[in-house]
Amino acid sequence: MEKLLEILKGIRPDVDFANETALIDDGILDSFDVVSIISELDDAYGVQVRINELDPENFNSAEAIWKLVQELKQK
Amino acid sequence: MATAMPSNEIRPDDFKNQFGEEEVEKFKKMTGVISSRKASYHQTTGDLGYAAAEKLISEKNINKEDIGALVVATHSPDYPRPATAFIVQKRLGLSKECACFDISLGCSAVVYGIQVVASMMMNSNISKALLISGDTGSKTVNSRDKSKVMLGGDVGVCILIEKTENIKDEIHSLVRSDGDGYRYLIVPGGGCRNMNPPHEEVMCEDGIERSLYDSFMRGTSVFTFTVFDVPRLIKDFLAQTNTTMDDYDCFALHQANLYILQQIAKKAKIPTEKMPITLPKYGNTSGASPVVSLCDRYGDDKENRDINVMLCGFGIGLSWGVTSFRINTADIYPVIFDDTVFEEGIINDPNELFKDMRGL
Repeated sequence: MEKLLEILKGIRPDVDFANETALIDDGILDSFDVVSIISELDDAYGVQVRINELDPENFNSAEAIWKLVQELKQK
Repeated sequence: MATAMPSNEIRPDDFKNQFGEEEVEKFKKMTGVISSRKASYHQTTGDLGYAAAEKLISEKNINKEDIGALVVATHSPDYPRPATAFIVQKRLGLSKECACFDISLGCSAVVYGIQVVASMMMNSNISKALLISGDTGSKTVNSRDKSKVMLGGDVGVCILIEKTENIKDEIHSLVRSDGDGYRYLIVPGGGCRNMNPPHEEVMCEDGIERSLYDSFMRGTSVFTFTVFDVPRLIKDFLAQTNTTMDDYDCFALHQANLYILQQIAKKAKIPTEKMPITLPKYGNTSGASPVVSLCDRYGDDKENRDINVMLCGFGIGLSWGVTSFRINTADIYPVIFDDTVFEEGIINDPNELFKDMRGL
């Protein structure tokens, strides 16, 4: 999780990823940010987020992103 | 091959008042677009493709009677019907023996076009064929859609394909499609499914106002598809053709946006020095963009050398494909700029179609 927070901070240094829980719903992240996150997740964890996993719920918080990574790693 | 573009240049910087400096700078960093070309109101894909074809025919001193097929691969036809290929055939003065038709594709148009034309030539006595591709995507983009209005560039390209007996001239292709993604890139109104919906613009969830006649893109879905499926396609193509990256001198990829190209290059291990990027000069020039990149890189090459090209297109459909061929750099012409409009083709009154017919 620490590593994930570092990755997210690298993409958007201005966002408090440790505490935000509505990154998508509140418009804090835009589509450019999400595609950057998807690409970084592949590089760091070898997981490929597919189109059917592009649920806003999966990107609303660092915790949700971490949960998605864990699910994809088990596939 | 030859490329023609309108001279009218637009730049993301021109939109700073409309979208704000921060948004425009972020857009430029992500997409790589600094400048692009926009067609005039009546200028069409057919006009630009015609200009590119004329350039190619005159430079190569081709006898027009020898051209047995003319295929136009576009999502921006001159008319709902007939196919744009017929208008270009008339203007070029090609023979009535020439097979003419359009292929309705966008970002993968050139890859599919080459595959279709080459296959057709293999099964006929056609020895020379013209493939035109291009789009005037700027005509279906809402001027307030920051995700698209600064991205696209209008263009027409033409490739002359000649049949030879040389095994080294073999064209290889691998193409794929996924109709489940038909909604990810779409113009929902104006076709036969919904011909005359209101032109009213509504605020979409991404904060951009659009009407049903505007081009719509679900960017994140398209990105996800391209960065994972395109590298896999390239890998499968290398296996299918028993080739490696070292066998190619140039990787001409669809110029979707800079970030996508960087990701594909990284994941497919494409040497970046062999991958031309023309987004800064011309923007995303749709399916014709790999040819634009070849004309930009080799158009002024004086070395007359044969190069092996891998050409890759991906996007609307969803559709993606890769093809490879050998070409001499002397046969790749520099980008030209042309604003000629086929005036005869502008029909403002149905009665113009009965002109000089006296009711017959």
